[in-house]
Amino acid sequence: MLRFLIRRVSGAALILLLISAFTFFMYFAIPQDPATLACGKNCTPDALAIIHKNLGLDDPVPLQYWHYLSGIFAGRDFGVGHCDAPCFGVSFRNNQMVWDTIMDRLPLTLSLTFGGLVVFLFVGLGAGLMAARYRGTWLDKIFSGGSLVLSSFQIYFLGPIVLGIFVYSTGWLDKPKYVPITQDPGGWFMGLLIPWIVMATIFTANYTRMSRSSMIEQLQEEHVRAAKAKGMSSRYVFYRYAWRGSVIPIITILGMDIGALLSGGMVTELTFGLAGFGRLARDSVILKDLPVLMGVMIISAAFIIICNIVVDAMYAVVDPRVRLS
Amino acid sequence: MSILRSRTAQATVAAAAVGALALTGCSSGSKDSNKPAGKSQEEAKAQAKPVAMGTAQDSVGPAKPVAGAKKGGTVQVYQEADFSHLDPGQIYVSDAGMLSKLLYRGLTTYTENEKGDQTVVGDLATDPGKSSDGGKTWTFTLKDGIKDQNGHVITSADIRHSIERLYDPFLTDGPTYIQQWLSGAGTKYREAYKGPYKGKHLPKTVLDTPDDKTITFHFLEAHTDVPQALAMAAYSVVPEKTDTKQKYDQSPVATGPYKVASYKSGKSLSLVRNDNWDEKTDPLRHAYVDGWNIEFNHDKADQTKTILADRGDAKNAIMFTGQVDATQLQKITSDKAVMKRTIQGYAPYVWQLNFNMDRVKDKKIRDAISLAMPATSVARADGGAYGGDAATSLMSPTTPGYDAKYDPFNRAKKPNGDIEAAKKLIKEAGAEGKKLVYAYANTPVRTTQANLIINNLEKIGLDIQKKEVDQATWYEQMGKVKNGFDLYMTGWGQDWADGNTVFPPSFDGAQIQDGASNYSHTNDEHVNSELGRIQKIADADQRASEYAKLSKYISEKINPAAPIYYTKVFQIAGSNVGGLRYGQVVSYTDPTTIYLKK
Repeated sequence: MLRFLIRRVSGAALILLLISAFTFFMYFAIPQDPATLACGKNCTPDALAIIHKNLGLDDPVPLQYWHYLSGIFAGRDFGVGHCDAPCFGVSFRNNQMVWDTIMDRLPLTLSLTFGGLVVFLFVGLGAGLMAARYRGTWLDKIFSGGSLVLSSFQIYFLGPIVLGIFVYSTGWLDKPKYVPITQDPGGWFMGLLIPWIVMATIFTANYTRMSRSSMIEQLQEEHVRAAKAKGMSSRYVFYRYAWRGSVIPIITILGMDIGALLSGGMVTELTFGLAGFGRLARDSVILKDLPVLMGVMIISAAFIIICNIVVDAMYAVVDPRVRLS
Repeated sequence: MSILRSRTAQATVAAAAVGALALTGCSSGSKDSNKPAGKSQEEAKAQAKPVAMGTAQDSVGPAKPVAGAKKGGTVQVYQEADFSHLDPGQIYVSDAGMLSKLLYRGLTTYTENEKGDQTVVGDLATDPGKSSDGGKTWTFTLKDGIKDQNGHVITSADIRHSIERLYDPFLTDGPTYIQQWLSGAGTKYREAYKGPYKGKHLPKTVLDTPDDKTITFHFLEAHTDVPQALAMAAYSVVPEKTDTKQKYDQSPVATGPYKVASYKSGKSLSLVRNDNWDEKTDPLRHAYVDGWNIEFNHDKADQTKTILADRGDAKNAIMFTGQVDATQLQKITSDKAVMKRTIQGYAPYVWQLNFNMDRVKDKKIRDAISLAMPATSVARADGGAYGGDAATSLMSPTTPGYDAKYDPFNRAKKPNGDIEAAKKLIKEAGAEGKKLVYAYANTPVRTTQANLIINNLEKIGLDIQKKEVDQATWYEQMGKVKNGFDLYMTGWGQDWADGNTVFPPSFDGAQIQDGASNYSHTNDEHVNSELGRIQKIADADQRASEYAKLSKYISEKINPAAPIYYTKVFQIAGSNVGGLRYGQVVSYTDPTTIYLKK
């Protein structure tokens, strides 16, 4: 396991390095001085010179990249002040430290991801298991058919409808809003309830279908049939034998979903007017704010890579036949 | 001032506006579809009255109470995007301008009566200033005991610092009236002085502070509207000792009734009472509410639906620069109770199609293009029926001297373009098939507008090449003298109710330089000399009448820009909001009179 982790973490570091280099050099390949983006409407050569100096844009691009990388581990000094490690630079737009901005946006994204995850795992897996257990019955048809319909929805379609009904028309629920859980747990829960439900509605469908088909497949495996033949109760066989084997494909898609959600549930955030990591990513692209864009890219990539490593490790935990070598 | 609201906002607002276009039926051929909705130009006349000069008595606080006003509560504001800047020296756009009314104070400000008549009065100063030397010298005396949020007493040294820092190259987004009047037009003032941060001050012959209370401006030429210019947010005081230069943009020091409690860039801004603000010194602001909670990332549709639903915090909500979403117009305008929660008025902006005079030299072509403008459709693309109406001239209905009957391009009869007349002119000019480059910003609204305009221009026989330009650098690119484009739309609005803030910045030949706002590169001897003459006229009414004549001359004899549409404002507030009124100065909901009923 240790060797596996060392190998995968080293690989992950290399991938992050390549992603950062690619983003950095691609950005500077654009035939536009990034300082002009920060210079305002009465931009003068003097103002440009100050921005170049403050943001370290006077140095050759490879040297700037080296300063960027070393700043992540050792911090950096900018014209607008010192940036403590991990320093991902200073925004071209508002002179704020990128790391501070990312840390400010991350709690919402974590809340959205893991809150939604609880809902869609609980409902999705529950419905899938029930559909598999009662295969061919009206219950199976309702869960299977329902999941097919729900999986065809999109957050940007379902979100405004839910808002229209439950917030704007009836007022039964609060408008989505992020309140830190440490400040007001009730407000945190109620503020994110609609995004969780909408997100879960769409994600649930995938998990229902995946867990149903995977479970049905497992129930036909020889070891499951052998267990039944030995006289074990069907309930015991269902959960102890079949369920464990059906989890692997679910872990695979769960790993990808968590990575994608952590790296920015952009559509969810835009639909519900929330400001998390996804919106930060979109804004940094629109505003061509390289330091923020770089920070978002690297952190997003890190989330995806970490999730992949965890998924690979989980395979071995769930299925002893898998060896981490 | 150019329309340069938050860049993120412009990009995101646009999608909603395009949806609105479809729902409001801009392409409808019905007779009524071209009639302007909302506030009429007749009603906008109050806005076009010249600003009156107040007295020392007018400059004394507290401001006249708002009937029925109560203290307490927190106002909720929904905003599309974050403010571009909090540093007052960088503020030249409407949303931050609204905020500045709550946070900052300058030497002068405006008061506004029930009829909307504006008076310029002393804010930090005891009066709106005393001029001498024929208007070349202006002297201001500070009121006693005005403190910033830290309890520091504001002195003339702070005022001097606030003006001097505007010369520093890092401040690039604010207006430049005072700097240019003191030290030279265009960018000459930047060469004359580099700012106070290295210990140097402007010479006493330019800016003098003989004692702690007095500050004297010595301008290069006589100026009549120095008090109006100094009332702009950019000339608010930045106390010298707490000026953190670039970092000030994140944590400014307040002198107004509120101060920043927390600022989360791109997320929210909350304001709480500034205990060091004394209402007895303030002739303008009320501070009825305890605080303001401003949330970003609410698009126009979301703002409208939330406030219309009127639940929870939304009962206490207002819009800063948001507009009622066109998809909700029917619902709002058909409900009398809801209409009582709305305000309407003209925003000061005129959107015009600039001709690059260095490239489009034949006036017949410019006239033909001006005649062919689909003005009403282009206006509808930017906010529906209540978002604006066809512009007949380069003067806004809010600018003194505006003449509603003046219509050189036949907008009244042909609001979507006089194609036949335009075609005839193109033929006369021998310009059939002429290639012209049309530049537009890459937002959905501007793209839709570009398509509407290009469609008409192709109908009259021109060959138009489209060039998409990044919205984030739109004004920078259009502001270049050699921008490489023939046609491009820009919006300009008065900084105060006076042609002085419209015509010199837009049509003075001295303003042809990179970064300046003479986007069409107009350089006409008669116009230049008239601008010099009119700016020196002391009487505001006479000045307005002279600007009206000059406007006609510019359109008829030069025609550097085709007027397309005037922008309007239509906003909604929560049912618990009292003191709701359209502010003539801010052109949106007046934040200084707001209170909460319960």
